[in-house]
Amino acid sequence: MPNYIRIEALRMLRNKRYIVFVVAFPVIFYLLFCNVLGGETAPGGIGASAYLMVSMSAYGSLAASIMSTAVPWAQERQSGWLRQLQITPLPNRTIILTKLAAALLLTLPSLLLVFLAAVLTQDVSLEPGQWIGLVPAMWIGTLPFAALGLAVGSLVPPDTAQPAAMIGMFGLAILGGLWFPVDNMPTTMQAIAHALPSFPYADIGWHLVAGETPPLQDVVTILAWTVALGAAAVLAYRRATARA
Amino acid sequence: MNAIAFTDVRKNYGDVLAVDGLNLTVEAGRTVALLGPNGAGKSTSINMLLGLVRPSGGRIEVFGHLPDEAVARGEVGAMLQSGELIPELTVMELVDFVRRLYPRPLDLDEILKMADLSDLVKRRASKLSGGQTQRVRFALAIAGAPRLLVLDEPTAAMDVESRQRFWASMRDYAAGGRTVLFATHYLEEADENSDRVIVVAKGRVVADGTAAQIKAGAGGYTVSFTLGGQPAAGLDALPGVSAVEVSAGAATLRTTDLDATVTALYRGTSLEIRDLKVTGADLEDAFLALTRES
Repeated sequence: MPNYIRIEALRMLRNKRYIVFVVAFPVIFYLLFCNVLGGETAPGGIGASAYLMVSMSAYGSLAASIMSTAVPWAQERQSGWLRQLQITPLPNRTIILTKLAAALLLTLPSLLLVFLAAVLTQDVSLEPGQWIGLVPAMWIGTLPFAALGLAVGSLVPPDTAQPAAMIGMFGLAILGGLWFPVDNMPTTMQAIAHALPSFPYADIGWHLVAGETPPLQDVVTILAWTVALGAAAVLAYRRATARA
Repeated sequence: MNAIAFTDVRKNYGDVLAVDGLNLTVEAGRTVALLGPNGAGKSTSINMLLGLVRPSGGRIEVFGHLPDEAVARGEVGAMLQSGELIPELTVMELVDFVRRLYPRPLDLDEILKMADLSDLVKRRASKLSGGQTQRVRFALAIAGAPRLLVLDEPTAAMDVESRQRFWASMRDYAAGGRTVLFATHYLEEADENSDRVIVVAKGRVVADGTAAQIKAGAGGYTVSFTLGGQPAAGLDALPGVSAVEVSAGAATLRTTDLDATVTALYRGTSLEIRDLKVTGADLEDAFLALTRES
């Protein structure tokens, strides 16, 4: 499996779309936003630069986990690469587990780059305990998005997966308040945001940065989504790899 | 031991019967061509052999195991009819990745040499020509040193020169006592590169043997000579002769055993044979005759 993960990571790191949308975008927008809003105080009473660090790293990780799964996976099914793998000793379950592991690995560049930019250029400083909570929470929290991407990749052909991934990625990011704070949204939009997995994902981060314990509600919502989307991904994968 | 055994294998897609009671065995170490027109059921049979498609009935064994098990044990390598590579990866990365999935693979250098890829190791898959891509796909098929190599119309997208190089690579691989099964609808490929040809049509085996036997089975050879005024009686009793025709002082015999017929003609009759002419049915005629009959 390390052999397979290596290949998956290598190919994404050579993919221009991944590098632009996932690795470069979050850092660039983070620095732009900080430039405009730098001195202000964000919702929850924390500095805008720390708040935006969570927002943009959340966007980057969400984007990475969907982009490294949906379209490549749909392409592999259509192009015959999946069949090529199926006639090797590689078990089916290793294929999807590797995809998931690689997706998680590929969220790290955007996550860590935004954190690094925050610390180095915006003087964001957190207690060691806060970092120890924040990094794994924002990392493991991408699981439902990776599962969503894999489900999409298993269900539709690449030319449909492409727009579906884009809509899912930006839809979840915008509606979940990663680009504009949820508190400024109308109440209906706020209710939608709270029901999506992207808001509680970032909200956990915002609370940790503010030195607070994240609300249980957030944890429950994201766990529920992880289970639901994980099940969807497994079912869709079984359907996609079923023998005729 | 048999490398491949199909017992009464059927496959239908709804009302369409793709494979209709296929029975065949292939001994380990042989190179066998599966010859048939498009729609004969070749690809369906190969996909069942590889565990990609489940038979609707019957049983398939690969070295005594079910196809899935044989694949999981790394006994099988295959080049399917179509398939793309991962565009961002280089030839070496792809080949090395696949070889590491197998328990007892070939050496990387050996694979690259056998597939004629030594000059292309650093090239990304997106930059390969059609023929080069096929060579990489061949390399992936042999990477794990499978005991059974399956090739589904491997030369379909190749020019003449690539084809020759490809078959030379295949023979290199088969030379190690390995079993090769390849599907083709090119008759001369079957003739030149296999030691046994299995002709399928409409999902059934219609002929099975060496290329020479298949030719013979479809009428074989024609022997003709000038008979003049000599009697034609007894010609139809000569060994191998299946039909005799006499017109305008010329006799034409159809035979399935050329040597026996000609020997008997000279030694077993008192005829004076002049202007003897032999024409062989080629595999093309044999193939057309066989697939038309079914």
